[in-house]
Amino acid sequence: MQRSKKVVILGHFGVGKTSLIRRFVTNQFSDQYKVTIGVHISKKVVTLSAEESISMILWDLEGTDSLDQVRDAYLLGTHGVIFVFDVTRPSTFQQLNSDLKIVSKKLPERPLLVVGNKKDLVSEKDLNELLLSHNISHDFLTSAKTGDTVEDVFLNLATLLNTDA
Amino acid sequence: MVTKMDEQAKLETLKELLFPDDRGAVEDISKRIQLLELIINDQKKLADRVDPLVDDKINAFTKSMPDTLGPTITATLKKEIKNHKDEVVDALYPVLGKMVKKYVAQEIKILSEKIDNQLSFIKTWKRKMRSWFGGPTEEQLLMRELASATIEQVLLIERDTGILKASYSVTNSIDEEMISGMLTAIKGFVEDAFKKKNQNLELIQYELYNIHLQSFVTHYVAVVISGNYHLKSKNKLQDIIFNFYYNFMAMNLDLVFNSKEGKEKKVRTIEKELLEQELAASFRDAKI
Repeated sequence: MQRSKKVVILGHFGVGKTSLIRRFVTNQFSDQYKVTIGVHISKKVVTLSAEESISMILWDLEGTDSLDQVRDAYLLGTHGVIFVFDVTRPSTFQQLNSDLKIVSKKLPERPLLVVGNKKDLVSEKDLNELLLSHNISHDFLTSAKTGDTVEDVFLNLATLLNTDA
Repeated sequence: MVTKMDEQAKLETLKELLFPDDRGAVEDISKRIQLLELIINDQKKLADRVDPLVDDKINAFTKSMPDTLGPTITATLKKEIKNHKDEVVDALYPVLGKMVKKYVAQEIKILSEKIDNQLSFIKTWKRKMRSWFGGPTEEQLLMRELASATIEQVLLIERDTGILKASYSVTNSIDEEMISGMLTAIKGFVEDAFKKKNQNLELIQYELYNIHLQSFVTHYVAVVISGNYHLKSKNKLQDIIFNFYYNFMAMNLDLVFNSKEGKEKKVRTIEKELLEQELAASFRDAKI
């Protein structure tokens, strides 16, 4: 049985939301930065078992300075959320807790994954120190460039959505 | 000496003298019990006796129903409608929409005819001018104006999520689920940007195609049309959409009210296959 689920990808400007989706959907990566205007929709079917699969309709929302600026119309009916920050730019995760509070307020009781992207640009030691010093709790650390852990994020969310259904 | 036998005989005589009625009564009761046994064991006889009583009771109950059960039924209906407000409104929307639309369409038709009469002369000359200055021939322009609209694709989409519930398509296009998401995003953006409550995006135009969007409470229907799409076509198309949606919501309501889950406020799932059959049946041979 296949179910369709709406997933929104949120985060500040240039954290790599579009790159993560592109890596996941088409297994491609581009160094050229193209800003997302409004929203871009993609889709990928994730097979969970012989009988069950989730058609993930991915809403790649334009980056904002504050999550308060995200249009409510884009969030209506959302089933799952991925919040992305850039591990190389503290400005994208310094307000993480308040950002997550806004997400939980706008989308209560929805499965939410916190993802730190661009891990390929920082050494593991520096990355751990950075996350510790800022008291950041995350679910996954990814690299859209190398593809590291990208599949895991979406597969994990698909499983949560399947359980949630 | 009086013998024991004599005593017994005297006692019997005395009993007969003292309790003659009692014996008669016992016999009478015994006969009545036998009759009752006969009636109870014979179903037809019992029915002849009991049925009039039951009928009387039923008649009395039916008459008193509005007073006795009325408040309970009203309360239950109120509760069900309150719990499934969206579905009920959604089901009524096409009916009310049709009434309002017919009235408005009638008025517009009268107005349109008046304006057409005024403008027909100008239109003819405009067409001739376009043709003279290198445009298509006058015949081509006339044909284009008269070409009827054709339904190319129909999508039934969940209003909030943008998730495609069912589709009908004459030709293959790119992933319909992605189209549904994108249409919902555009619709959401426009409706949000102008901050006008209860206003819906109704039409998207691109070159020779029009996408008509008919919004309801929980879903909307997007119809891709090629050809000359004008007010008359829109009117016909809306009638078809309203009829389809009315049937769709009727199926939804059947599922909602057949549900024993009481307070659950979910639009129930109807098989995609069934919905697509309904869509195809409604739109396949539709002339607009």
